[in-house]
Amino acid sequence: MSNRRSSRQSSSAPRISDDQMIDLVTKLRQILPEIGQRRRSDKVSASKVLQETCNYIRSLNREVDNLSERLSQLLESVDEDSPEAAVIRSLLM
Amino acid sequence: MASADKTINTDVPEKDVFAIHFLQSLSNLRIQNLFNSPDTTNYRVRKIKKAAYVSMARAAGGTSRLWSRALLRRAAKGNNKIVRFPRRKRKVTWKISSKRRRSDQRAPVVEDAAERLRNLVPGGGGMETSKLMEETAHYIKCLSMQVKVMQCLVDGLSPK
Repeated sequence: MSNRRSSRQSSSAPRISDDQMIDLVTKLRQILPEIGQRRRSDKVSASKVLQETCNYIRSLNREVDNLSERLSQLLESVDEDSPEAAVIRSLLM
Repeated sequence: MASADKTINTDVPEKDVFAIHFLQSLSNLRIQNLFNSPDTTNYRVRKIKKAAYVSMARAAGGTSRLWSRALLRRAAKGNNKIVRFPRRKRKVTWKISSKRRRSDQRAPVVEDAAERLRNLVPGGGGMETSKLMEETAHYIKCLSMQVKVMQCLVDGLSPK
C-alpha cells in the first residue's frame, strides 16, 4: 500500500482499504449461520455483522461448555465391557 | 502496488486434525486417572473444556496464529509450564494501547462492536481492527469445527 507512513509505533499491518474491509465483512457474513439474507448485500452495516459475530462466538462457547459437560458424564459412566469402551480404547490408545 | 492480492487466508485444517488433537488430550486426561474418581465433576468438566480449547489451538496451527498463541499462553500460565514459542523472522508488532490504535478512522459504531469482539477473541486486545477481523474469521471456523468434533464424539458415546 502506498500510504505506509505508519512505521513508528503501530502494528505491521498497513492501513486497510475500504475494499478490504468490505471483503472481510463479506467473508464473516458467509461464515455466520443466519444473517438476514433478505437484506441487500451492500446495505448490511459492518457493526451489525460484528454484533452477530459476537453473538455467534458466545453461542459457540456455550456449546463447548454443554458438550464438555456431557462428555464428562459419558466418559465417567462408560462400562468396561461395553462396545463404547472398546471404541474409546481403540481411539485413545 | 495497491493491486496486490489481499485475499485473507482463513483456511482451517480438516476435521480429523482437530479430532486427533482432542483425543490425544483426552487420553492424557485419562492417564491422569481423572475419569474414575466420582467426586470431582466440576473439576473434570473444566479440565475437558480446557483440553478442548488447547487442542483446538494446536490443531489450528499452534503458534502461527495470534489467537491460538494467546490461548496457549493463557493455558500455560495456569499450568506453570514453560511454553516455547519458536523464534520467527517477522516484523515486531507492538502491543497497541487503546489510545494509540490507528483505527480511529473507522466509524465509532464499528469500533464499539469491535471492542466487544476483542473481549471474546483471545489475544484481541493488541490487535488493530483489520487484523482482528481476520483472526475472528479464523477463530470462528476453528471453533465450529471443534464443536462438530465434540458433537460427533458425544453422539458416538451416548447409549443408543
